[in-house]
Amino acid sequence: MNGAVAKEFRRVDVSAALASRPATDESRGRQVEKEKHPKISVSGLSFFYSDNQALFENNIEIAGGKVTAVIGPSGCGKSTHIRVYNRIFELYRDQRAEGQVLLDGQNILSPSVDIIELRRRVGMIFQKPTPFPMSVFDNLAYGIRLHYKPSRSELQGRVEEALKSAALWDEVKDKLDKPGTALSGGQQQRLCIARAIAVEPEVLLMDEPTSAIDPVATARIEELVLELKGTYTIVIVTHNLQQAARISDSTAFFYKGYIVEHGDTRALFTKPKNKQTEDYLTGRFG
Amino acid sequence: MTDTAASSAPGGVRPPKSEPRPMVDGRRRRLGDPIFRLVAAACACAVLVMMIGLILELVVNAYPAIREFGLGFLVSDAWNPVRSDFGALSSMYGTVVSTVIAMALAVPVSVVIALFLVELAHPTLAKVVGGAIQLLAAVPSIIFGMWGLFVFAPFMADNVQPVLGDYLGFLPLFQGPPMGIGMLTAGIILALMILPFVTAVMRDVFEMVPAVVKEAAHGMGSTTWEVTRKVTVRYGAVGLVGAVFLGLGRAVGETMAVTFVIGNSHRVSASLFSAGNSIASTLANEFTEASEPLYLSALVYLGLVLMVMTLVIQVGAQVWLRRIKKTLGGSS
Amino acid sequence: MRPRRATYRKATDVGVKALSLLASLVGIFFLGWILFEVARRGLGAIDWQFFTQNPAPPGVEGGGLSSAIVGTLLITALATLIGVPLGVMAGVYLAEFGKQNRLGSSVRFAVNTMMGVPSILVGLFIYAIFVLPFGHFSGYAGAMSLAVIMIPVVARTTEDMLGLVPDALRESALALGAPRWRVTVSVVFRSAKSGMLTGILLAVARVSGETAPLLFTALNSPYWPSSLAEPTSNLTVTIFNYAMSPYADWQQAAWGASLLIMASVLGLTVFARVALKEKKG
Repeated sequence: MNGAVAKEFRRVDVSAALASRPATDESRGRQVEKEKHPKISVSGLSFFYSDNQALFENNIEIAGGKVTAVIGPSGCGKSTHIRVYNRIFELYRDQRAEGQVLLDGQNILSPSVDIIELRRRVGMIFQKPTPFPMSVFDNLAYGIRLHYKPSRSELQGRVEEALKSAALWDEVKDKLDKPGTALSGGQQQRLCIARAIAVEPEVLLMDEPTSAIDPVATARIEELVLELKGTYTIVIVTHNLQQAARISDSTAFFYKGYIVEHGDTRALFTKPKNKQTEDYLTGRFG
Repeated sequence: MTDTAASSAPGGVRPPKSEPRPMVDGRRRRLGDPIFRLVAAACACAVLVMMIGLILELVVNAYPAIREFGLGFLVSDAWNPVRSDFGALSSMYGTVVSTVIAMALAVPVSVVIALFLVELAHPTLAKVVGGAIQLLAAVPSIIFGMWGLFVFAPFMADNVQPVLGDYLGFLPLFQGPPMGIGMLTAGIILALMILPFVTAVMRDVFEMVPAVVKEAAHGMGSTTWEVTRKVTVRYGAVGLVGAVFLGLGRAVGETMAVTFVIGNSHRVSASLFSAGNSIASTLANEFTEASEPLYLSALVYLGLVLMVMTLVIQVGAQVWLRRIKKTLGGSS
Repeated sequence: MRPRRATYRKATDVGVKALSLLASLVGIFFLGWILFEVARRGLGAIDWQFFTQNPAPPGVEGGGLSSAIVGTLLITALATLIGVPLGVMAGVYLAEFGKQNRLGSSVRFAVNTMMGVPSILVGLFIYAIFVLPFGHFSGYAGAMSLAVIMIPVVARTTEDMLGLVPDALRESALALGAPRWRVTVSVVFRSAKSGMLTGILLAVARVSGETAPLLFTALNSPYWPSSLAEPTSNLTVTIFNYAMSPYADWQQAAWGASLLIMASVLGLTVFARVALKEKKG
């Protein structure tokens, strides 16, 4: 595709996406807690892979009960940034974070934080669906059993509720004992969302959750994200600007490890304050 | 978005929140992970300890013989338990000769088989033939020994050795009475035993040749053999060394099959027809009979020599493999 | 420029193909020959008594190898019991914790080296640490030597199989708040199950046919293996002893034992490989 056309296409499409946004939560009669403090407050966050610095002094506040989209060209540190929120990066020896990430006012990077409880409160969905090699039911029960001691009926009840919350119940209620890997890609991803919801998190981190999924399944997941917000604080990394425009309340633009701009999605897409943001949105790079 | 969607929103179906738990709690230490890691590390260390212990025990138990015979042990062909005079020469000679015969036979055949499997055979045929060759690797050593002693050695004595004697008898290698058992038979059986291992390595190497390269060569009008020779063999040469190391490692320490057919004599003879022994076969035959401490120690000394040979081969193989991975790693 | 004759080139091509086919046939021919002879000579030796009676002295009618069969089963089972958990955990260390650190690479080197150490030297090692101090041969020592052979093989397969499990699966289990050990045991193991099982079965098959490491450890015995603390009857050393004896009936029994060992080892090997193939497909 020719560059000029691509640019034009992107502009038009995003405005269409913005226009297609659902009415605000308030007008839909949903109760949204007005929180005085941000759910997550990041200050001075830097990140290193061995000696390579990937994030530089990131500062951002994530509002509770909202969807925050994280956009930027590939390799800009989007995923790296949200992988700090549940300290999943600690799986790798040579990765290291510096700075402060407050979850409800508590610094999660402090060594005294119980990482297991942190991860119960901050769930994560990955780029490719990752059903565990076990049945649909056990995929959900796995997480629940990690944190609770449910009776049989409690367990069944909670599995059903989580599947309903992830809008998957009707499709899988007859295949609960089938392996999770037997579901379609989109269903697998919603299974992973259900699995994350089942342990009652407060925050859901989504790392390009629709990049490996077909458009129809993507639409369903976007719909699901809109349903889940309010109850959960959602941070979604996406390389798809239309997606960010459709589903997020606020958007953060990352570039080369810096947070260049963060603000209301509509404002950021229509009147970016920063030159780099504008260049990216108009397709000059990325 | 419709009203139904809103009413099925998670707010409605969400389970009641379980009682909140503190995220920071100094008293509730989670010990599972440190313990798990410690146990895994301990098991990993066990392998390290095994290797070091094995070498150490060999050195310690060989020490009396080392003190008695020194390095002269390696060049002495004496083996006299009555006079307590021991030397490793005949055993080392047998180990080397049987290994050389095995390598000389197995390597070319393995390379050709691997070529056949990867480049020439129909995939279904390659699967069957490859499976059969791999099955050869699963046959226990003692079965090769039984077959070698009772079936193959008589066959060699009746059909192969007389013919070799007739035509190549002018060489010292093929002189002497055709007894069946001896160096040559041991070498051939060893060749059979290492064949599947060398074939497997060569097969992996040939499979690493990128299909694009092969297609390009075919596209220029080459026949299958020409593609194979020009393209594959160049890649194969690197892997061949690794395959040779692996085969050597197997052949040098092979015990039971060799013990059955090598003839067990402490004599160094130029003829491949004559009986001999190898380090491993000497150990297998004499270790439980050795009553004198020095005799036992001399046998352990032999074992130490075998261990050093093995280590040299193993380290060589691992260093070489690392080099291959560096040079070919990018393409695979 | 004169064109090269294609007939010559084509002939070479056919010739090479024929040669490679011939080499493969040679390999298969020997396999067939061995299988055929062992089956032919072994079948004659196997009857009901072979499984139910203890060995008889040469020349005495009857007698079987029941003690050796049981001894081999016991020694192999004990070796598996020791070797598999140790090997699996060593493999877990290599794949999960020791990918880049110094202990990891030393252990990896040791595993590769131990895999290449001749089994007779393992027998010598166990003799030095398990037989010499106690003053007698024992089935326990035999099991130890087989375990020492198994551990590096199992560790290597475990490392390789766990290495195939994508990190995303580990991350998503960790992200749910699972501790590392549970991630490994319930998600990673489960994902690598068929490969690990195949590797373990192949290792068991391999050691159950081993003779050399038992020569100086379990030794052999004509009696029922009532305790593994004594020299313990086993099939492979029995084959060696009987085959080297001058008695025709003992040699006959050695063929029977050979058939039994070969059938079990090859059977287990083929089963392990086929089971894996089915899981993969």
